[in-house]
Amino acid sequence: MKHSRGNQPLPVLPAASPARRNSFWKTALQQRWLYLMSIPFIIYVFIFNYLPLWGWTYAFQNYKPHLSFSEQQWVGFEHFVRLFSDDKFYQVLRNTLAMSFLGLIAGFTIPIIFALLLNEVRSSFFKRFVQTVSYLPHFVSWVVVASLVTTILSVDGGVVNDLLMAIGIIDEPINFMGKGSWFWYILTAVDQWKEMGWSAIIYLAAMAGIDPELYEAAKVDGAGRLRTMWNITLPSIRSTIIVLLIMSIGHLTTIGFEKQFLLGNNLTKEYSDVLDLYALNYGIQMGRYSFGTAIGVFNSVVSIILLLVANGVMKRTTKESIM
Amino acid sequence: MKKAVRLITILCIISSLLVLAACGSNNGKNGNSASNNPSQNSENQGQDGLKPITFTWFSADPVSNWNNMQDMVGKEITKKTGVTLEAQFAMDANAIPLMIASGEYPDLISPKGDAAKLVNAGALIDLRPYLEEYGPNLLKVYGQYMDRLSWSKDDDAIYILPSLNAVDHQYMDIAGAFHIQHEALKATNYPEIKTVKDYENAIKSFLEKNPTTADGQKRVGITFLADGWRIMIGVTNPAFLTTGAPDDGEVYIDPETYEVTYHYRRPEEKEYFRWLNHINDIGLLDPEAFTQKEDQYKAKIATGRVVGVIDQDWGFQDAVNSLKSESKFEQTYAHFPVTLNENYKDHQLQSSGFMGGWGIGISVDNPDPARAIQFLDFLASEEGQILNNWGIEGEHYYYDDQGVRRIYPEVQELKNNDPATFTKETGIGFYGISARYGDGVKDSTGNYYTTKWPEQVIENYSSVEKETLSKYGVNRWIELWPQADEFPVKAWGAAWDLPVPSDSDYAILAQRMQEITWQRIPQIILADPSEFDALWDAYMQELINNGVEKMEDEFEVYVKDRVELWGGKVN
Repeated sequence: MKHSRGNQPLPVLPAASPARRNSFWKTALQQRWLYLMSIPFIIYVFIFNYLPLWGWTYAFQNYKPHLSFSEQQWVGFEHFVRLFSDDKFYQVLRNTLAMSFLGLIAGFTIPIIFALLLNEVRSSFFKRFVQTVSYLPHFVSWVVVASLVTTILSVDGGVVNDLLMAIGIIDEPINFMGKGSWFWYILTAVDQWKEMGWSAIIYLAAMAGIDPELYEAAKVDGAGRLRTMWNITLPSIRSTIIVLLIMSIGHLTTIGFEKQFLLGNNLTKEYSDVLDLYALNYGIQMGRYSFGTAIGVFNSVVSIILLLVANGVMKRTTKESIM
Repeated sequence: MKKAVRLITILCIISSLLVLAACGSNNGKNGNSASNNPSQNSENQGQDGLKPITFTWFSADPVSNWNNMQDMVGKEITKKTGVTLEAQFAMDANAIPLMIASGEYPDLISPKGDAAKLVNAGALIDLRPYLEEYGPNLLKVYGQYMDRLSWSKDDDAIYILPSLNAVDHQYMDIAGAFHIQHEALKATNYPEIKTVKDYENAIKSFLEKNPTTADGQKRVGITFLADGWRIMIGVTNPAFLTTGAPDDGEVYIDPETYEVTYHYRRPEEKEYFRWLNHINDIGLLDPEAFTQKEDQYKAKIATGRVVGVIDQDWGFQDAVNSLKSESKFEQTYAHFPVTLNENYKDHQLQSSGFMGGWGIGISVDNPDPARAIQFLDFLASEEGQILNNWGIEGEHYYYDDQGVRRIYPEVQELKNNDPATFTKETGIGFYGISARYGDGVKDSTGNYYTTKWPEQVIENYSSVEKETLSKYGVNRWIELWPQADEFPVKAWGAAWDLPVPSDSDYAILAQRMQEITWQRIPQIILADPSEFDALWDAYMQELINNGVEKMEDEFEVYVKDRVELWGGKVN
């Protein structure tokens, strides 16, 4: 784990040697206030992130809420077998991954390009204005966004259809929200509209930290604007980008279901149902706690594997990593 | 790294100790709720009808404004029976499981859907022996439906006295699924509307002459809401309503053989969906019907430009209220029992009979079950029911010269304008916790048990509504429908009311069928008419491939069990 207090010598201790053990307690004593201060957070993480892992046992039982732990019936991997033999599961997995990857691709190009461009703007008033306007949609609830989008894309007097008809690209209105295969792209586009400005903030902050001397040096060497963007700005924020990328990869299977649920309808079901919604509909809603937990376990395991793989690949190729 | 491991280990131990301690104190809390058992005389059971006794009563449904029986009706009940209830209300769904875990039960329990858990835990007593001795009024009210109180096929004990469903309840009015604006009827000279074709033609001919509303908005022919579960109400339920089947949820049950069919597989329903496909093809169906959300749907109807709506009236009541508040009564809706063709009869008024269901039970900890039954029996008596529904004579209601029971105007005014104070002070409606009659049942004086009756419904109609009704020669919409007495009572109640374990194979299969149906039906309706048959066949095949037959067979077992339980015969 990387941390900023890295200059203190890390004691390396094979437990066998008494001298080394002493030095552990010595350091511990020296840093007792740091240890003490971290305790509340470790307790917090433990209670809210590790204790619930106990609930994973439900996935291997036919869990009944009114029975005590010792009375539960253990069924081994039955729920996982059911899960992996369900066609619907593969459909929702496909949708989840498709929308995640589209989101990942769009989410790591558009905000970065936007931040690069905004960074080049000289007028600081205009820059701030654009930045504020662009991140405001982040605070709009998905419920409102979904309603806005369906209205804009409506067949019956929607702005987009009216516009396309007026300039003569189409002859009759397109039922945007009724086309299943378009759903992934519409969702990704809406998501970008909503989150672009917000995601750009972190890159802008990273860009603000770049040493201005680098730019001056580049200028002296005769680099134009695009050159400096490519050779100075981008490499300087590389570690930020990679850390964010690795973390997003870890979240590939847990994209929530709010936006899909709100934007989707029965015509787009084949493309809009995602893993989390599946867990809700086939698990908790039907009182199949164990089945729902099995989906959750699958989700977590896949996320951890993805995270480790992404981290390893990045470590090898770019020497950047989060662990 | 090692250091971190060590640290975490220490912390684990500390926090697990903390957690254990927390659990421990919790257990302690569960243990000491035993103090509220009334220690009244249990030796002379039910002899002394008026000796004061306090029963603890648990209700899974909180009674809002509950006043600890210090309200007028409550005091009257205590005066007549000697019983005072000490109520406990459920705060969340865990109340009953926790109660079972603690092993301490209140004297009376209204568990809603959790009765099975209590019965399995042996917490409720069999009321059958007490009913015969102490419950003449209860027996009278349940009357012919006594069979339906038995617990199950294997256990004919009565654990629960149903109180949620009222006996012999009659619809005072009905709106059905097909609605058309009054102005469209007026403009087309009040045509006969019996079949989907009549409905389609009325809307079509009105639209041809009036493509826009008075304020210039483009009219919409027919719309419905198909988002999420509402697709059942607006799109798929009308398929059986128009083809002469009663509402049994997603299945059709043959009244002779009790054979279960997933209702989409009835051949006649295909023709209803063909009609929907047809109205989409000719542009009568709202192009947004399958993509709109509930708010857009309601907003659209509230503009007054939607001529026809297919939905249950509660589904777009808000929009209609908004039209009414703008005095656009012409653009509110008339209701018709529309069928696919003249051969079918709308079955919406077919009676399911009294369905039993949720109610009140007496726990094993009750010190005097006989008194408890006498108390519930009083509530079920004519006196008790009138007291609960109407209040106290001379205080809340009176009899006029013709012997008609009437509410005092000032009482009615308080009831309409400040219902919270009204119920809190009077307690009217709090005590419907025993057997009771529904709307439309008359007592020995010829007055209605409840405060809802036909004349009252008619009074609430707008003048436009009354005009339309008069053109069709009726007083209430319900008179347009085939009446309940034309149909036999359904021996199985209603299929949607059958208790099926939520994690059974049936439930999982039903969920799968629902997925397929909700996906395919919109596609089929929006398809080109030439593709309709091929798509329909593919849909039918998909259902079979996913095990629809297994689902039907499994449900049939539940249906037959219930018919037998309720004293019917299964061949």
